Amino acid sequence: MTAVPSLSMTGISKAFPGVRALDGVDFECLPGEVHAICGENGAGKSTLMKILGGSYRPDAGTIHLAGKTVQFTHPRQAAEAGIATIHQELSLLPHRTVADNIFMGREIARHGILDKAAMRERAAALLDRIGAQIDPQALVSSLSIALQQLVEIAKALLLDARILVMDEPTAALDERDSRTLLNLVDGLRGEGVSIVYISHRMPEVTAIADRITILKDGQKIWTRPRDAAPISEIVRAMVGRDLKDFYPSPPASAPGEVLVAITGGTNSGLQDITFDVRAGEIVGVAGLEDSGKGALAQALVGDVPFTGGTVALRGRSIDLRTPRQATAAGIGYLPGDRKREGLALRQSVRDNALLTLRSMTGIFTRPQRGALASAVIDERLRAMDVRAANFGQEIGTLSGGNQQKAIIVRWLAQASDILVFVEPTRGIDIAAKAAIYDTMRRFADAGRGIVVISSDMPELIGIADRVLVMHQGRLSGAVPRGASEEDIMHLALGLAEARHEESGA
Amino acid sequence: MTTVPQTSLSLRRPERLALNAGLVIFVALYAAIAFLQPNYLELGLFMNFLRRAAPLVILACGQLYVILTGGFDLSMGAVATLVVLAASILINGDPDTTWAVIGALYAMGIAVGLVNGLVVTFLKVPSIITTLGTMLLVNGLALAWSGGAARGDLPDNFRNLGRLVWRDVPVIGTLPLAAVVLAGFVALVWFGLNGTVYGKRALAVGDNPRAAELAGTPVAATRILAFVVSAVSAVTAGILIGGFSGVSVNAGEGLELQAIAACVIGGAQLLGGRGSIWSAVFGALSLFALFTLLNLLGLPQALRDSIQGLILIAAVGASTWRIRRRT
Amino acid sequence: MTTDVVKPKPGLSVAVLLAGLSIGFFVVVALATGETAQLSGQGVTGLLQRMVALGLVAIGQTFVILVGSIDLSVAALISAVAVLASHIMQGDAAMMLPAVLLCLGLCIAVGFVNGALVAYGGINPLIATLGTGLVIQGVLAASFGALQGSVAREFQVVAYGGVLGVPYSLLLLASLSIAAGLVLDRTLFGARIYAVGGNPDGARLAGIRTERVILFAHMVASLFAGAAGLYLAARLQSGTPWIGRDGIYDLESIAVTVIGGTILAGGKGGVAGTLAGVLLFASLDAGFNMLGIDAFLKQVLRGAIVIAAVAVHAVRARGHVA
Repeated sequence: MTAVPSLSMTGISKAFPGVRALDGVDFECLPGEVHAICGENGAGKSTLMKILGGSYRPDAGTIHLAGKTVQFTHPRQAAEAGIATIHQELSLLPHRTVADNIFMGREIARHGILDKAAMRERAAALLDRIGAQIDPQALVSSLSIALQQLVEIAKALLLDARILVMDEPTAALDERDSRTLLNLVDGLRGEGVSIVYISHRMPEVTAIADRITILKDGQKIWTRPRDAAPISEIVRAMVGRDLKDFYPSPPASAPGEVLVAITGGTNSGLQDITFDVRAGEIVGVAGLEDSGKGALAQALVGDVPFTGGTVALRGRSIDLRTPRQATAAGIGYLPGDRKREGLALRQSVRDNALLTLRSMTGIFTRPQRGALASAVIDERLRAMDVRAANFGQEIGTLSGGNQQKAIIVRWLAQASDILVFVEPTRGIDIAAKAAIYDTMRRFADAGRGIVVISSDMPELIGIADRVLVMHQGRLSGAVPRGASEEDIMHLALGLAEARHEESGA
Repeated sequence: MTTVPQTSLSLRRPERLALNAGLVIFVALYAAIAFLQPNYLELGLFMNFLRRAAPLVILACGQLYVILTGGFDLSMGAVATLVVLAASILINGDPDTTWAVIGALYAMGIAVGLVNGLVVTFLKVPSIITTLGTMLLVNGLALAWSGGAARGDLPDNFRNLGRLVWRDVPVIGTLPLAAVVLAGFVALVWFGLNGTVYGKRALAVGDNPRAAELAGTPVAATRILAFVVSAVSAVTAGILIGGFSGVSVNAGEGLELQAIAACVIGGAQLLGGRGSIWSAVFGALSLFALFTLLNLLGLPQALRDSIQGLILIAAVGASTWRIRRRT
Repeated sequence: MTTDVVKPKPGLSVAVLLAGLSIGFFVVVALATGETAQLSGQGVTGLLQRMVALGLVAIGQTFVILVGSIDLSVAALISAVAVLASHIMQGDAAMMLPAVLLCLGLCIAVGFVNGALVAYGGINPLIATLGTGLVIQGVLAASFGALQGSVAREFQVVAYGGVLGVPYSLLLLASLSIAAGLVLDRTLFGARIYAVGGNPDGARLAGIRTERVILFAHMVASLFAGAAGLYLAARLQSGTPWIGRDGIYDLESIAVTVIGGTILAGGKGGVAGTLAGVLLFASLDAGFNMLGIDAFLKQVLRGAIVIAAVAVHAVRARGHVA
């Protein structure tokens, strides 16, 4: 390789109180190259990118852009140097127009007066360049997540960024939109942009990256060209074990009695949903972003209830009008957005695990009685292998995997019969993923049921005993264990002619 | 990368600090008072101090419930005013009706608390606006009912709640009835937060109402109960105030802000999720000690407001700084 | 806008609806009570004049709420400005300019302190501005409680003078409203305010110096509060340390802003809605007067209306509020 790297970071170190986040990491990216960074959560990827983006200052090490040494103290300087970052969480203004968003912080103005027409025109040109059919005058809140992601990219391109950092850009996208995004990345590479690509999704990484760098515990393990880095090697380098024993083995016995049966479930986002979950079964739900699979989860837990149809629990008809009713009926919810919907971040691990028990018991219950006692819940947390220095510690300080395990403990303590998982391993590193899959399997094997809603297709295929597929608010079909991604995609895109009725397996 | 023990230890510290902060400030301020007026070290004067501080401490305890669940109650002062005026009108000089009237006062308070809670939870009006609204409403009602002027007098059996002092009590010498009411009230609200699951529910609701709801917590009931407790504390405080200050149309003016300031000084976090009953108790005692100290120093009464403002900013600034430093 | 894409501004429809409602109420009450004189040019001018003080404060409040902050110190600042103006003028026309300049200087200083505490100190804006408000109120009550003074007779023109039957005060409100609307809609500062209020982290990452925007928004709010204070001093001839608090300008400015469709979280809303909210309050006030409702009862109704009006907006939003 003879070209001068457009980005080269050497010997980057960064320590936080008690944590060595980065330790002498080297990283470079050539013009027109997609360089992927892989690593578990906490491996140091985000810290490295925050240093590049000017949000953090490194304790040691240097950054060169096209051979010139630079130092950033504010994100603005990094932006001016041609580095654009697309963050995991969208940073858009929902109540403003697309054009307003693209030009946020870089408005075209003369003497402080905005030139709105010029901004609209350039916004339209930029959106056109990335092939997005978006009206620059539309309000961002009216766009789907996928389109919002495209607005983010247009925002980054406004600067003619020579280096584009994408931090899990497909995390919120479904299969179809992810492909569009990857095509876009490919196009940008052709224009000579250097792209730093961070992702947990292995197929994506091997499809798009020219080179791959693995970080673990703040150190670089290796950098290799794509052809020298098969997925198995990447996973082994990231976690130090093979992918084979990743998903638990399927259950030995056939599913038992029907736990919950939904018949003709309907609300504003769902139509005629009919399926059941049996004891010992993990039922997957697949679908595109707007297929209604999220609405199904919300209906099952009473958050946005069904307005028509019936729900029967072990043959008895029940009402699921509020999450509290669902909880009382034995249905537990593990939301995809743990920070917003799952956790009370400033409360302790123990308090979060006890939240449901404390909520469902009588109000005058003594806080340390029976199952509410610290010793009892601590035992459960230990059994789930939740790793914390102390269960009295704030849960916000734990890794995503440990947080998810604590939420699982919450529902196990409540002795729920049915768990509804949404994106159970989103943002969770590989080692913790395996543990969560294992827990899900054991939960089901104990004669209870799971509904798992996910955009991660290998995950659904690996964990679910059968997968229901949704399309435009309806169930468009179901596939048994062992089906391929293509089968599911076919149904998810609504390509199947006849709609399969769920026959209860 | 955040599960390393050192981090977690430093994270646990502020919780203990918060408890101690209010107590430390109170002890320091009280020491300063005693330095200026050594007789404040006598048990009798301390009891008298407690008697006068009782309404504020009680108000702060009620306010704390609302703060924990993530809200504010600005209607407390107005409720206290209503209590004082309503008591004088309803009792109308007939001591036999006192107890029945006190029951009626609590019913009124609970009604205001219910309105606050229902409006916040079901009409989704931010509590700061709701309770400012009910503050206007209750104040207006109280003034319209009394015709805008203090009428009548309160009978002795009512006023005794605030001003009766038992003398020659063994060991402690004097014992004001208000101090007993204070102790009883604090014990009750302490039990509510620590002796039942309510306290932990309130903290979870204040921290993340959405997560709490999805975990099955009765969020609405938790919130409404907090506002009711707050209103009940305002009624209790109002009865004590009526006892030792008599009837006046601005009996409760500004007390809601003092109660919030007290909780903040004691280390409770505004907008919910952190704090304990001791934040309220020691925060209120600190604030009252400060007022006493300023009086002794001869500062004009009007400057109280200014000092209180500075304290609010300083207390919140200090906790913000602590949080920033550890991240 | 000349493009064929028609995107009605969400704030505008709220504003139109509110304004229609207010006018409707005013007209109905005037007809029902037989006070048809209220519907004459003079009556309407009177109605609009009721808007001036609250309108000025509320426009400033709109800036801080849009940026995701809030200002509870406006009531105290209004009193401070009114007292200071009358104290400096002492009825002397020659002192008008120095008094106004000094008052505006005070406003800038208070706005700076508020903004610095919120933006750089990271202190919750409710507490920071409540604190500065208390500080001002205390100093005011302690040092100016007994002082006498009155504004110059010439200064009272601000409140009582006019040209072609239109009072200067209305012209002041109108021009400042239009200026504020243009600033929010057409300038860099306006765009930054919406950006910082809508998504502070996103704005920071986009290179906006968010602290500075918050600081300036607070200074704008304080200046508008100061303008209201000067107007009140002119109208009442002299300021007292309790004008602001008695007028409940802190609560009412927040209420009309929220009623007008500006969301408390920031990033959405505008001046048009706020003014419509102010008009609603003015019509209610005028209507209650025509109906002869007693002052205390009026306060009760006001409290109820604040809650009800905010509730109309709030119920539509899913999720919890605190």
